[in-house]
Amino acid sequence: MIRYILRRLFHTVFVLFGISLIVFVTVRLTGNPVAAMLQGSNPSVQAMASLEKALGLNQPYIVQYWIFIKGIATLNFGTSFVTGQPVLPMIWSRLGATALLAIGGIVVGVLIAIPVGILSAIRYGTILDVLGRGISLLGISFPNYWLATMLILIFSVDLHWFPVAGSEGFSSLVLPSFTLGFILAGILARLVRTSMLETLGSQYIVTARAKGLTRWRVIIVHALRNALLPTITFMGIQFGGLLGGVVILEEVFSWPGIGRLVLTAVNERDYPVVQASVLLLSFLYIMVNLVVDLSYAFLDPRIRIGD
Amino acid sequence: MKRKIWASLVATGATVFGLTSLAPLSAEAQSQVHPRFAAPHGQLVIADALGDPGNWDPIATFAISWGEIGSNIFDGLVQRTPEMKIEPDLATSWKYLTPKSLEFTLRKGVKFQDGEPFDATAVAFTFNRLLADKSSPQYSNYTAISSVQIVNPYKVVLHLNSVDPVLITKLAGYGAMIVPPKYIQLHGSTYFGNHPIGTGPFQMVSYKKDSSILLVANTHYWAGPPKLASVLVKFVPDANTRIQMMQTGEANIIETIPPSLTSEVTAQSGYSLDATGSPTVYEIRLDTALPPMNNVLVRQAINYAVDKNAIIQKILNGYGQPISTFQGNLSFGNDPAMSNYPYDPKKAQALLKKAGIKPGTTLTFDYDGSDATFAEVAQAAAEELQQVGLNVKLQPEDTNTFYNTLIPKEKAGQMYEFAWGGWTLDFDNTAYLLYHKGQFWDPDFGNATIDALLTKERSTNDQAVRQQAFFKIDAILHQQAVEVPLYQADTIWAVQKTVKGWVTPPDERMDLWGVSLQ
Repeated sequence: MIRYILRRLFHTVFVLFGISLIVFVTVRLTGNPVAAMLQGSNPSVQAMASLEKALGLNQPYIVQYWIFIKGIATLNFGTSFVTGQPVLPMIWSRLGATALLAIGGIVVGVLIAIPVGILSAIRYGTILDVLGRGISLLGISFPNYWLATMLILIFSVDLHWFPVAGSEGFSSLVLPSFTLGFILAGILARLVRTSMLETLGSQYIVTARAKGLTRWRVIIVHALRNALLPTITFMGIQFGGLLGGVVILEEVFSWPGIGRLVLTAVNERDYPVVQASVLLLSFLYIMVNLVVDLSYAFLDPRIRIGD
Repeated sequence: MKRKIWASLVATGATVFGLTSLAPLSAEAQSQVHPRFAAPHGQLVIADALGDPGNWDPIATFAISWGEIGSNIFDGLVQRTPEMKIEPDLATSWKYLTPKSLEFTLRKGVKFQDGEPFDATAVAFTFNRLLADKSSPQYSNYTAISSVQIVNPYKVVLHLNSVDPVLITKLAGYGAMIVPPKYIQLHGSTYFGNHPIGTGPFQMVSYKKDSSILLVANTHYWAGPPKLASVLVKFVPDANTRIQMMQTGEANIIETIPPSLTSEVTAQSGYSLDATGSPTVYEIRLDTALPPMNNVLVRQAINYAVDKNAIIQKILNGYGQPISTFQGNLSFGNDPAMSNYPYDPKKAQALLKKAGIKPGTTLTFDYDGSDATFAEVAQAAAEELQQVGLNVKLQPEDTNTFYNTLIPKEKAGQMYEFAWGGWTLDFDNTAYLLYHKGQFWDPDFGNATIDALLTKERSTNDQAVRQQAFFKIDAILHQQAVEVPLYQADTIWAVQKTVKGWVTPPDERMDLWGVSLQ
């Protein structure tokens, strides 16, 4: 197991090196940050040249890349061109907010999807199944922007239960988490249902029932545990993706997440922020997937990772 | 199977219908402030549209988002009032000793919000710090200043490298806000950027990046304490969300209402719509280096063919002002006697015929694809040009590629959208950067008479001479029809009727000192 983890971490270094190169080149293809920085001031040619020099953008690309790589080694990602603030604290504060939203969304998604998926599977073909699939279809079909707006209109504007926007306290987390969770639940519930149907038809389930175990014990302890494997893979990939930011929801709910930070940085051609964000998010994505792979061994004792 | 699919579809439809039919209740809810969302007593809540500048150091940014809030934390030597007049601020008076030296008498008894006294040392520190930081986006605006001489603790002289007739206005700009020397030397610029201290009427006590800031009243403010106890500014980028914050009463003031959403405000009891002209102007710029735009007759024909007033009334819902050159009515250099080309399609057709342009000739029209309002303007202009026999190919572009690559490299095509802030409210900056030969925004354009007039107005502090030079430039630009000036945009805000003393700022720089809540 330890060797497996070390091998994966070793591969990660090469992947991150590749990503650093790609992001360094692509962000420079998108245009000159100096023009974007000075847009509000209606700059002169001389002002732009002077700022370009001060930011080190007149140096050869290879020198700029070397400075970037050297910074990574010491966890110094530089300062933002636009705000002049160190990049790492800027990313950490937004990443925390996005992680909170992603966790909230996944909790809501799981709380909806698992009961709906199980009920749909064990009541296959009945009205409960149709209802369950209906909920799932709604989750898949609703555009998140529309759902967010509807929830705000109903629960904030009409009922005054939750604030429209912001990130102050638990009440601000409810509507964005529910929007995200409901949309996730759509796919998740289908996945749980399909896996449960497959598992419930297995011979060992019949054996378990024949041994006299109660129906719910068989469903929850024996069937669900196995049915969760593909669900966890899916959730791992989704969680990694959500850390990248749910830009539209962050925009609608004025949530101070990483998605808004990266989007703004790309628009402003803020090279240091874009480079550091992409690199850190890639690293997190790889780590989340590693944890997902490792979790298989705990869910299914037959799987022995690294053996 | 079919029945199940139908059942699912019916369930989806019913839910969508249910949600959307519940939503319109909001219009009837017409809430006053709901107790759940009520702000603490004496706290004003603003739903801010422009976002978080990310650094509150006056020299770190050029974003308007800084200016609208930073102006309440910091003071300059002079200030620009909401009526756009330059008035004393931390300086009580000023005079030119020579055209290249400017003396300021400073206000006595002023303290920074942390108790540090304000005097000539702070002024010298502020400008020395700015002029030593070449990576500051503010740097280039103040390079006319060569040094700051401290005459006594309350008198300073700014020595200049060259005459800068717009310098006084620039001293009311963000980069010239006075900063506390000891505080910055003690904590450093990074800390200062997150925990700003100035001499202004409000102090920032909480800053949640991209989320909100909390300002509390500076009770020792030199002009007297503000009437509000505190101000909570929430950064809300989405216009619909800001409107919904108005509907719940969560915000007292809502910034930037798009013209298409103004009816939501007028339908809401307890709020009023406040619109005022901004320095931002819009036009269709013509690339005079490309055929057929190199023919003045064609450029004049396009000016006659576009109905500017119809655009203002029908697309902007009346929230805009006509302009005759590429500057607003607040700009020094705008000739009020001049009027724009009237809408006259017949004259346009005649001019095109005279220029030898065949009916059906195709022109390109590039615009910023993220600007929904201008997309409508472009479509309207394209239809009007079609009526005089010109086909227009509309090309929406990515914002930054458009402004930072296509326009400066003369690749934006024959016609393109152009918007301009003109923050100094003096035509000098706009005119020089747009019409002087070899500048960033239009490298190919050049006119010897305009170049000479610009050199003349830049070399004197005599405002009457400068104004005459600008009026002559206005006349040449009009006759040459190098662009189609469209409109000066209004800034539109929603303000709760309980808010008193509020003046909607044309330059977005809010003045919260005299504001109170009833």
